[in-house]
Amino acid sequence: MVEAETEAGAALVADDVRKRYGDTVALDGVSLSIPTGEVFGLVGPNGAGKTTLVRALTGTTRCEGSIGVLGAAPGAVDPHRIGLLPQSFNPADRLTARELITYYAGLYDESRPVGAVLDDVGLADDADTWYENLSGGQQRRACVGTALVNDPDVLFLDEPTTGIDPAGRRALWSLIDDLAAGGTTVLLTSHSMPEVERLADRVGLLRDGQVVAVGTPDELIAEHAGDSHLLVDGVGVDTETVAAALDSEVRERDSRLVVRNVALADVGSVVADLEAAGVDFESFTWAEPSLEDVYLRLTGEALREERDR
Amino acid sequence: MSRSRRIRSAFVAALFAFLRRKTAVFFTFFFPILIILIFGALVQTQPTGGGLFAQEPAYYIPGYLGVVVVFTPLSRVGSTIARHRDGNRFEKLATTPLRRWEWLLAHTLVNVAIIGLAALLLFVLVLLVTGARITVGTGLLALVPLVVAGVALFCGLGAIIGRVADSQDGVIAASNAVAFPVWVLSETFVPPSMLPVWFRSVTALSPLTYFSRGVREATTGGDPTVALLVLAVVATAIFVAGAAAVPKTE
Repeated sequence: MVEAETEAGAALVADDVRKRYGDTVALDGVSLSIPTGEVFGLVGPNGAGKTTLVRALTGTTRCEGSIGVLGAAPGAVDPHRIGLLPQSFNPADRLTARELITYYAGLYDESRPVGAVLDDVGLADDADTWYENLSGGQQRRACVGTALVNDPDVLFLDEPTTGIDPAGRRALWSLIDDLAAGGTTVLLTSHSMPEVERLADRVGLLRDGQVVAVGTPDELIAEHAGDSHLLVDGVGVDTETVAAALDSEVRERDSRLVVRNVALADVGSVVADLEAAGVDFESFTWAEPSLEDVYLRLTGEALREERDR
Repeated sequence: MSRSRRIRSAFVAALFAFLRRKTAVFFTFFFPILIILIFGALVQTQPTGGGLFAQEPAYYIPGYLGVVVVFTPLSRVGSTIARHRDGNRFEKLATTPLRRWEWLLAHTLVNVAIIGLAALLLFVLVLLVTGARITVGTGLLALVPLVVAGVALFCGLGAIIGRVADSQDGVIAASNAVAFPVWVLSETFVPPSMLPVWFRSVTALSPLTYFSRGVREATTGGDPTVALLVLAVVATAIFVAGAAAVPKTE
């Protein structure tokens, strides 16, 4: 692996990065550039290569291609400037949250005050509880704290909110917002599309080791998610009847009818048309396209779901 | 300064992590005591012809100390590496300033502290239970570097086993497979005169042999310098190899 030429203002650069595990291709020519201060969300199905890419960028796995982190090769970058929360990270279970953060803080020449880190991750009240006695969400927040102790310029968070309850998740989102506002570059992997849509300035979608789309959530939604639509529920509601009543594209999904390209302002008239045509429906739901639609469309998960049905 | 800060931080975390595992602490001290009670009190040494052992009780002091010097670091460091690997802790540490040799040194120091204390207790217990007679003098101070070098050596070997074995179960099995023959056949419990001539050269290859010789010299008023030097050189080499074996990447 060679050091990638860093573009002006880019904190992370990957150029044609490739990685194989035996016959399995984990990364297949990944190229990315992440500007300083950006929150970049990396999404994709299990096995798409997200964690391998994080490992490649942090220098904890060897790969082909070129990578630049803060203008240096991953193995040569000043470790004081990066922070990592690995996937499935499981630290010593009989240290308290405070001892755990103190341990990692002690590995750096300079570190943030341990109390401040505990405050940031919402563990000030449980700081003296052994890690093994913390709840799953608290454990994950303690792990996030270990990645923040050195106040890194680039922060890698591999599925940071896994197992965290909604309140804890929101607290962590707020923390990531604050870090980004302070100029920290964050690379975040997640299976939660609302989380990525909420946090990320830009999103990269990996599938089979390749980046299949990069852009802001709005750009990706506009380009790949399709139109807003109306979901119609009812016993015996017929696709052809509804299509004829509305003169619209209608599909069946999950035992519901999907009327495509319905703007919010048109919902009333569409419902009136359905009633006028004698369609006996129980309820309807209007849905905006989301990052999840992008994900399902680009990863082929939607196709697989339909095929499985 | 920053290096000592890193090592101190890793040392404290490793020490707390160990001391809070009461079962591990208990058996670290109980197992060698059990060995002393079985061999030193029940079987006993009877040079006149009876008993399992043919030598004076003091001959077996290195064997009793060897229990903690060999078994504990091998299994502890090996299984610690397996636990770190399972929890992706090395992946995390690889992105910090902590170097692999610093990590191993911190864990070695924890073992030195614990095993040093255990060795001291065992030493006293051996004298009380078996009636072993030693020469009291400044030469006994050589026991300290001998134990430190021995622990460092087997911590390094434990790191290599931890790297090679793919699970904690594998580490324990491999540690026992290595530790038991080394412990028994390194001029600890079986005198060289009782072994086939061809096997004596094999015994000379065991680093614990030099620990045994050094302890024996130190406790009988002899000169342990040569044995200590050999042990220190081998310990340094194996520690370096062990540090290189500590995983850096996934």
